[in-house]
Amino acid sequence: MSAVTLDHDNHGEHHPSGLWRWVTTTNHKDIGTLYLLFSLLMFFIGGSFAMVIRAELFKPGMQFVDPVMFNQLTTMHALVMIFGAIMPAFVGLANWMIPIMIGAPDMALPRMNNWSFWILPFAFTLLLGTLLMPGGGPAGGWTMYPPLMLQTGTAFPFVIFAVHMMGISSVMGAINIVVTILNLRAPKMTLLKMPLFVWSWFITAYLLIAVMPVLAGAVTMLLTDKYFGTSFFSAAGGGDPVMYQHIFWFFGHPEVYIMILPAFGIVSEIIPTFSRKPLFGYESMVYAVASIAFLSFIVWAHHMFTVGMPLAGELFFMFTTMLIAVPTGVKVFNWTATLWRGSISFETPMLFALAFLFLFTIGGFSGVMCAMVPADFQYQDSYFVVAHFHYVLVTGAAFAIMGAVYYWLPKWTGHMYNEKLGKLHFWCSTIFVNVLFFPQHFLGLAGMPRRIPDYPVQFTDLNMLSSIGGFLFGASQLLFLWVVISTIRGGAKAPAKPWDGAKGLEWHLPSPPPHHSWTTPPDAEVWTHPYRD
Amino acid sequence: MGLHTTKNAARAAILLGLVLATGAARAAKTTADAVFNMPEGVTPTSHDVYSVHMMVGWVCFWIGVVVFGVMIVALFRFRKSRGAQAAQFHDSTFLEIAWTIVPVIILVAMAIPAAKTLVRMSDASDPEMSIKITGYQWKWQYDYLQDGFSFFSMLAASSDQASQLHSGIDPASVPNYLREVDHPLVVPTGEKIRLLITSDDVIHSWWMPDFGGKTDANPGFVNMTWIKVEEPGVYRGACAELCGRWHGFMPIVVVAKSPADYQAWVKAVKAANGKYVSPYDGSLEDVGSPVVFETTNYNGMMGTPTGAAVPTGSPVNPPVAASPNAGAVGQAENTNPKAAAPAAAAAPAKWDMQTAMAKGKQVYAQNCAACHMPDGSGNTEIGAPAFKASAIANGPVAAHIERVLKGKGAMPAWGNMLNDADIAAVITFERNSFGNHKGDVVQPSDVAAAR
Repeated sequence: MSAVTLDHDNHGEHHPSGLWRWVTTTNHKDIGTLYLLFSLLMFFIGGSFAMVIRAELFKPGMQFVDPVMFNQLTTMHALVMIFGAIMPAFVGLANWMIPIMIGAPDMALPRMNNWSFWILPFAFTLLLGTLLMPGGGPAGGWTMYPPLMLQTGTAFPFVIFAVHMMGISSVMGAINIVVTILNLRAPKMTLLKMPLFVWSWFITAYLLIAVMPVLAGAVTMLLTDKYFGTSFFSAAGGGDPVMYQHIFWFFGHPEVYIMILPAFGIVSEIIPTFSRKPLFGYESMVYAVASIAFLSFIVWAHHMFTVGMPLAGELFFMFTTMLIAVPTGVKVFNWTATLWRGSISFETPMLFALAFLFLFTIGGFSGVMCAMVPADFQYQDSYFVVAHFHYVLVTGAAFAIMGAVYYWLPKWTGHMYNEKLGKLHFWCSTIFVNVLFFPQHFLGLAGMPRRIPDYPVQFTDLNMLSSIGGFLFGASQLLFLWVVISTIRGGAKAPAKPWDGAKGLEWHLPSPPPHHSWTTPPDAEVWTHPYRD
Repeated sequence: MGLHTTKNAARAAILLGLVLATGAARAAKTTADAVFNMPEGVTPTSHDVYSVHMMVGWVCFWIGVVVFGVMIVALFRFRKSRGAQAAQFHDSTFLEIAWTIVPVIILVAMAIPAAKTLVRMSDASDPEMSIKITGYQWKWQYDYLQDGFSFFSMLAASSDQASQLHSGIDPASVPNYLREVDHPLVVPTGEKIRLLITSDDVIHSWWMPDFGGKTDANPGFVNMTWIKVEEPGVYRGACAELCGRWHGFMPIVVVAKSPADYQAWVKAVKAANGKYVSPYDGSLEDVGSPVVFETTNYNGMMGTPTGAAVPTGSPVNPPVAASPNAGAVGQAENTNPKAAAPAAAAAPAKWDMQTAMAKGKQVYAQNCAACHMPDGSGNTEIGAPAFKASAIANGPVAAHIERVLKGKGAMPAWGNMLNDADIAAVITFERNSFGNHKGDVVQPSDVAAAR
């Protein structure tokens, strides 16, 4: 850390210290750290909700919570994990790494950067606070479908306001990323020479800007339906409750890709590094991300195949959804080709990237299955879907984030993490996450609906297995917490480039990087292509 | 070593295959014994759905074997610890085109049968009968449109008791725990039955795995689907769309009977004075909601054009069978005019305080406690006031009866769902519990008069 202190002393700038430093900071690395720590906290809060859910589902009968509390927990688990853990983690990674990877001193809009982070603690205090309100927190699912959502008690307007705040935070963060990428790239770094993590975030940021306002619109219509006498979603006044679902999923499907595209970017950084080989098919990887982003806008109704759509609608959304398998397949094949004839080593970040490669693909397979409308009439709203999206979001998004943390933690802290503990964390997580989610495929196929606090006895064995996997997966994450905290506090000194196969500008700065990351733009001679010598 | 790694990959593939094959081998006919896989079910639709599911499942499995196989081989063969030297190639237009086109071909091959199945499934034309299904928080109403009667179907009392928090009852000791209802839907086998599905409050979803899927029940709109049950039996499903507190507790039970047995059951229902006739043993039901008869003749609806959703543009009215007094009119087969009045069905003509309180407590727990809370303290957040010091519960009895019968705001109109005796009992209970001591006993005749 002395390098950092020295650096600002040299600039003769005055920086507040202690807590006030974090409140007023406009430094991309500080804000990135804040985002990442916030997301870690939310990961454990959302995870603790999941533990109660799995405890209640351990055996049939109601043991711990009443059904309303259970519904609040499933709703909050999703809202906290999506908006509090996964999304801020990706924004934190973007804040830390994008300026460094493109040769910039900081983000383009540092004060807005500060604001977009500091909205989040307030938004989540508000959201989590609703659990203590009379009538309890929101219990209608994270999708907030009316009319059920309109039955929420005092919590209702607070939830809507919290969602608005999260949306504002996301949009500001996204604008900042777009502006930074478009304006602050090192000389001669053309768009098609950007690292894939930067590319994936560039596209994700556009998705965010396009769809977060749609969510804001949808929840505002809920608000006016409840308090101002409108009937957007009530047939009694000429509205339609299904219209909400169309609007919500027009946001919701791109949102799904907002949570996976940056993960694609991360994996595209890690796999070449530990294969010691250039990323295979760089340009087709970029085009694949762009096609997935485009397709995300025309597949939304596959979340609502059972809602009563005309045949033509079902066919259209079935075909477009199946199309997504093509660019996604291209990505998986390119990663595999990157591994082929490489010189592969298995440090913790690589282990997480490889687990992503296998397990996200399993989530992709169940995704193709869900795209088949006739079969989806059975899968929809069953545990099969729960298994599907947890494979995509936990072993997909969350595993990529953990891989990224291990990959860049030496860069951020200047210390090496404990490789043994990292590997232990990896193996525990990977084994238990499968014990947790794989049986849920079978539960769904056998007829168990999702979002139920109690179930017929025929589902007992697989639920017990799933719960045991859940508890152990949850406990494994304490190991992650320990590794991260102990690496921040100390450890072997990390060199500028701890991974011998790594390419990219971030490895040209010391670990940790100086206060203003690149005070002068890196020479074009320093690098030619993100993945080649 | 190359051979060795291939062996490893093959072993992994065989293991995975075994897991899947066990699932397939255990393929169950119905949900009753489904553990690992989708049941094949008992309708043409469910067979189609099952074959699409198995087709896409196996296609994914074999793609997985190939892709994961290549990955596993790479991870073994190209390890740095084995001294692998990294090649530096990074592009191949041929490969990129190949692995774009091959998946497209596979997807088209899967899309064709899926689309054909979908077209077949969505043809609900020319049904032999229609049943309207209405979702409520938290029960189903089944309305036999041609035969002109309807009834409510809710979680069986045995499951209800065992599923209470800390009930102390072992769910395994309850037969068909959370899969049993008081009044199953009864349908004939071999006939194409159109289901018109809607909701009275929030969105529900009518999921019967053995019939091949689910259809959402949207308030204000009617969705259409169809079934043709091939063999007699008892089929069990559940609500699949989160619908509030008791979402996990509104199962669906369908009893399929041969057309002759079905006709006999319909006849028995029509002769049963508004009591529900058990499809299992023909016994008459003494508790629970009545069967109500209606005047509307829906035979004209048989020719309604097909389509997945029929927006009505206005909210679907609460159960059409509104006025019990009008029930018998127009029901030629209904020989007993009293059948119209559910009041007369199960109850004594006159309540005394003690029995009314006992019955009322039971009715309250089943119907009212979800919103007004078991201790009557209410939940103002959802518009359910407390009973203590309530103007209704302590005011004139007529207003109290009126409120229960007709409802107001979030309060449903219970007149359609409970018989006169139950309504009288629960009102007596409310006026003499939770700190209220009105001392009056409401009689079924008072309720009948107020209808």
